[in-house]
Amino acid sequence: MKPARFDNIYEEKAKKGMKLFTKSAYEDFRGFEEAIITKDDQQYREVDPERSKLFAAVAKGISQIGIREGSSVLYLGASHGYTASYCSDIIGKQGKILCVDVAPRVVRDLVFLCEKRDNMAPLLADCRQPETYKEFISENVDVVFQDIAQRDQVSIFLKNCDQFLKQGGFGLLAVKARSIDVTKKPALVFKQAYQELDKARSTVIVDKRELAPYEKDHVLFVVKKR
Amino acid sequence: MEWQRLREKAFTTTKEALAASVNDNHLIIQAVASMEDLDRTSNTLIKRLREWYSLYGPEFSHAVTDNEAFTRRVLEKSKQEQLQELQCKQSMGADLQEQDVQEMLALAGMIRAMHEERARLERYLETIMQRHCPNITAIAGPTIAARLLQEAGSLRQLAIIQASTIQMYGAEKALFRHLKTGAKPPKHGHIINHPLIAKAQAKDKGKIARALADKLSIAAKVDYFKGDPIGDELRKALEERFG
Ligand SMILES: C[S@@+](CC[C@H](N)C(=O)[O-])C[C@H]1O[C@@H](n2cnc3c(N)ncnc32)[C@H](O)[C@@H]1O
Repeated sequence: MKPARFDNIYEEKAKKGMKLFTKSAYEDFRGFEEAIITKDDQQYREVDPERSKLFAAVAKGISQIGIREGSSVLYLGASHGYTASYCSDIIGKQGKILCVDVAPRVVRDLVFLCEKRDNMAPLLADCRQPETYKEFISENVDVVFQDIAQRDQVSIFLKNCDQFLKQGGFGLLAVKARSIDVTKKPALVFKQAYQELDKARSTVIVDKRELAPYEKDHVLFVVKKR
Repeated sequence: MEWQRLREKAFTTTKEALAASVNDNHLIIQAVASMEDLDRTSNTLIKRLREWYSLYGPEFSHAVTDNEAFTRRVLEKSKQEQLQELQCKQSMGADLQEQDVQEMLALAGMIRAMHEERARLERYLETIMQRHCPNITAIAGPTIAARLLQEAGSLRQLAIIQASTIQMYGAEKALFRHLKTGAKPPKHGHIINHPLIAKAQAKDKGKIARALADKLSIAAKVDYFKGDPIGDELRKALEERFG
């Protein structure tokens, strides 16, 4: 196992491709039946890129994720917290991550997860309405990550970046073609999302990756705040 | 530390909001889902019971086709009494020891309890549906109405979708098959169990399904926007036209 290109992410050659791990920030944590490897008294949690768009992008060679040791992250569409828990490993105990989701069903799980990790906080809120959670963000964050699979996902993302992302900070946006328009070809949907992001004045597009074969019809965009 | 304070506050706010988010709609959805689970589970168990019991009293397994009646009578009557009732002179079943029979009866007891729980749930569902959406309940009955609500996810959603979608709820599999293989398109989903459609001739079913879905769509809007009751009136109109 050797360090991958980003803080606290490790990789190991496997039969097909690479296995990805994060260096566990909280000892003896295992929340998703993931495999755990211990080396020199340090635990590493395996992450499945088919369950996480962030790590699918890492496996596909994305050039930048913005999330580093000590980062503050606003995570929109955290669901049960699978990816968020690995972000929590990357940022380590000095970092912090606010996990927002609008569905009570998944936020119940999220609460239990965050209780086990001091750098995570759960929030039941709708990310279409940033004003409802601005009181929980004391200073602008290093990273805004969004994965909500909604029709207006690009504009929601830009709104949140405008309001909460610090200068030079990174925004990561997972775009699902089918949730914008089921009848349109994914390539066209991605092109339109690109154009919409490109038009935004406050951010520049840094990279983008299609996530196949890990996740069909998905793209992860990385933007940087001017 | 600022983060610790905000984190605590996030927990408090979120826990409060989660507690407050639970409403009748969620209770209804869990209750119908539980009814389905019970049906599926008790069906599996009763198949086992019938096969098991056939080693002992196959004539009885064979004669009583209704599952609830079969379970009840296995528990209430001895093999002798059953055979007498059936006027069966020679049984194909084995003479089993008390201990062997007891295990079958234990399973039958559990199945009976499930049937009883199913009936209780149905009564509960009726009460809560009357409270939450009396108008669609008046037209479709509590069980079908609750299934539609379950498909839609909420009363609000049921109130805004088109009648044709309501008509198809529960027929997704058949609809998918139609799109994929060109098989005959389905005419209706859950509402097929409605008495008016169930007893109609095949050629009329589509027409009735459409009318029923139309009325349900109106009733769902009245339920959601808390308008004047209209369900009974709509049901009577349907019964006069198709009953
Ligand atoms: C595809 S899942 C996210 C999976 C997660 N990012 C992971 O990788 O573990 C999308 C989530 O977005 C949430 N969502 C959808 N619309 C939202 C909104 N307006 N505000 C907040 N969350 C939303 C859904 O409830 C769902 O849990």
